[in-house]
Amino acid sequence: MSSKEDILARIRQNTRTRYEMPDLKLDAITYEDKIHTFIEQLKAGGGEAHLLQPGEKVDEVIRSYYPDAKRIASNLPEIGCATFNPDELSDPRELDGTDLAIVKGSFGVAENAAVWLPKQTRHKAVFFISNALVILLDKEEIVHNMNEAYRRLADADYDYGVFMSGPSKTADIEQALVFGAHGPIRVTVVLV
Amino acid sequence: MKIGLFIPCYVNAVYPEVGIAAFKLLKSLGLEVDYPLNQTCCGQPMANAGFEAEATRLALRMEDLFAAYEYVVGPSASCVAFVKENHPHILEEAGHVCQNSEKIYDICEFLHDVVKPTHLQAEFPHKVSLHNSCHGVRELHLSSPSERNIPYYSKLRDLLQLVKGIEVFEPKRIDECCGFGGMFSIEEPEVSVCMGKDKVRDHMSTGAEYITGADSSCLMHMQGVINREQLPIKTIHIVQILAAGL
Amino acid sequence: MTTKHAIAGTRFIANETQEKWHDETLWMVRAKRDKQSRSLPEWERLRDLASAIKMYSNSHLDTLLEEFERNAVANGAIVHWAKDAEEHNRIVYDILKQHGAKNLIKSKSMLTEECEMSPYLFSKGIDVVESDLGERILQLMKLKPSHIVLPAIHVKRQAIGQMMEEKLGTEPGNYDPTYLTHAMRRHLRDKFLHADVAMTGANFAVASTGEIVVCTNEGNADMGTSFPKVHIATFGMEKIVPNREALGVFTRLLARSGTGQPVTSYTSHYRRPPEGGEFHIIIVDNGRSDILADADHVKTLNCIRCGECMNTCPVYRRTGGYSYTYFIPGPIGINLGMLRNPKQFADNVSACSLCLSCSNVCPAKVDLGEQIYKWRQKLDRIGRANPEKKLMSAGMKFLMERPALFNTALKFAPVVNHLPRFMVYNAANAWGKGRELPAFAKESFNDLWKKNKVK
Repeated sequence: MSSKEDILARIRQNTRTRYEMPDLKLDAITYEDKIHTFIEQLKAGGGEAHLLQPGEKVDEVIRSYYPDAKRIASNLPEIGCATFNPDELSDPRELDGTDLAIVKGSFGVAENAAVWLPKQTRHKAVFFISNALVILLDKEEIVHNMNEAYRRLADADYDYGVFMSGPSKTADIEQALVFGAHGPIRVTVVLV
Repeated sequence: MKIGLFIPCYVNAVYPEVGIAAFKLLKSLGLEVDYPLNQTCCGQPMANAGFEAEATRLALRMEDLFAAYEYVVGPSASCVAFVKENHPHILEEAGHVCQNSEKIYDICEFLHDVVKPTHLQAEFPHKVSLHNSCHGVRELHLSSPSERNIPYYSKLRDLLQLVKGIEVFEPKRIDECCGFGGMFSIEEPEVSVCMGKDKVRDHMSTGAEYITGADSSCLMHMQGVINREQLPIKTIHIVQILAAGL
Repeated sequence: MTTKHAIAGTRFIANETQEKWHDETLWMVRAKRDKQSRSLPEWERLRDLASAIKMYSNSHLDTLLEEFERNAVANGAIVHWAKDAEEHNRIVYDILKQHGAKNLIKSKSMLTEECEMSPYLFSKGIDVVESDLGERILQLMKLKPSHIVLPAIHVKRQAIGQMMEEKLGTEPGNYDPTYLTHAMRRHLRDKFLHADVAMTGANFAVASTGEIVVCTNEGNADMGTSFPKVHIATFGMEKIVPNREALGVFTRLLARSGTGQPVTSYTSHYRRPPEGGEFHIIIVDNGRSDILADADHVKTLNCIRCGECMNTCPVYRRTGGYSYTYFIPGPIGINLGMLRNPKQFADNVSACSLCLSCSNVCPAKVDLGEQIYKWRQKLDRIGRANPEKKLMSAGMKFLMERPALFNTALKFAPVVNHLPRFMVYNAANAWGKGRELPAFAKESFNDLWKKNKVK
């Protein structure tokens, strides 16, 4: 008997009462002003938000946040300030030393400032390896909570995807909060 | 309404005044109260230590003692909770259907939910810190457990609000365990004492003169710490406050 | 009358500064959790749902695991089944061998701890690198985690700084957490870039999509899997959830409970293999299928490893993770240890005052405290009851079953009040450690009643 068959047989033998799947409908929290809540939550988690004002240009906004960034990765055609397209690198290790990466979020979640980022570049390392990350997010694409978020993803197809909320962080040394454990030290969400 | 007064072993031995206060308080509210003689113990200490079977005969005995009463009321949340939660399955194994579990109340719960007095004669012009004991809170639901997202309530506080002159406080860690835990207090004495000291300090930081609650066992443990450390705070069972002046 | 936990706990308490810091720091995490849980009016409903989903999934493991496998294979993953720790470790090693791997970068996984995988791989010449910052610190210090979510909570910054001076050449005397963290970032960056194979655990495995979900704050699982061509994900079979909608419940509870954050920085969904690489998924039993048949303890399989039962436990906070003999400490660890090997891990059962805070804090409603009570009832049968406690309990039973004797005892009890202190508080009297004995009343309630003095 293979281990699989063995395990399944033991499960069948030992399972007692079979419980029904509950109805997952619930009255989950909603917010009067989703954009406001999203921004507040992002700040609380150590991230930065920029609500794009009429007349502001995304490139200029990014530059104003990161005036010293030299190596800037993006494969987004609308981004002019990128210094290289990460999809042209065959080895993701070459991304090491990137100052800033600019990517696009599909939607955000107000309750926790998470942004859904399906893999959109050849290397998913783009999300993690640069010192700072700018996420462009359509401000109309913010849902209230994670229940809503996952319903939205019910049939979504992706190789890899991540809900990212703010910068990489750790409190492993005496519970002192430090940003940039491994991933971006700074994360800026530009709401367009 | 015929009430059988349940006096747990250590109240009987160490805190008879708590039993007396309970009796007087119920009497003063016009209730018919009796004490079935020769009570000993509900079996909780043995069961919590891991010897539930040793509680069987004690549980059966309690069933006999209180068979004639409509209500069983005791001044000890933990013992009452034990009868309510554990006597049924202990007795089931002895082929007996537990009757007490349906009619037993901690005295505060009984006053709050059944008798519902709108005023008391009691006066207690002191600052007290409420001791929300684990089994009172998490088994008998005398107040809202701090872990749960439910609206705050406290049956003890509601009752104390009927007492003239009293000021009621609660510790910062509102229902953290004091470390008594029955046999835990002697099986892990250092941990138990450490928890006890922390708890007493938390009560003291409210500025209270007394720690009060529905469980004499927690109070006994904390009083032990207070006496050893000679701390400027006292313990008093809540029924002694509610019965003050009777 | 004592257990290994009581002895080790006493040692922890002896260092009062450290004990107070540990207690207060973890209490702060509990307070953050309370704040987060109160930010959601539907909190209790979420707990109910989480529990109900787990009751469903753990009673349908056969169908859900097969569904998971089908979908994972369709995604291009290679699925392995491991009956026990030994088989799990062998599967991992075989994959490493196939790829000629010399090192493995891994994110935090309680399952690999449970399987004692790292020592096994080291013995085979594989360099296993922990990538969670706390875990890496402990690995370099040759220490074990003392908490499942905050692994290095028991280590002070000075000790970490001194180790890093020695091993990573950081500035002598610089114990600033930000400085040390960023030095560790550079150290691990190099490890990430040069990893042969990456390994992660899984917080959730989704049956309907065949994907696994890993939650971290550091992004170490994502960094780890970004460079090697091979990713091995391993999960204990109770990590299965039926679908993505169920994740909407669990992801709202996990970080709020565990660290008091609304969500972890990264909730990563791994579905297909890396470009040109392989994605191996190992489904592990290792005793879990036995737990299914144990009605008293089956709910331990609801656990999502948030660690909050440790933070809320008044005993854990004051005794630290090392005082427990099982590798998972605290209320969930007491129970899991007993399920692993009751004789071996019975010493932890004393580490509980039955306050039931854990049962009320648990996001998946595991009845942790109630289960510890049940384990205590079983200790005698397995020959692990404390003989002194047993004797005391039997003595109490004897007395309490004889009311006349009890009443006589109460008559004479006040004599104790007048004994010399050395007789009352001798070394055998555990109560006397830090507490005065209560004074027995001159007349018991029973006596007073008989004499008609209760009026």
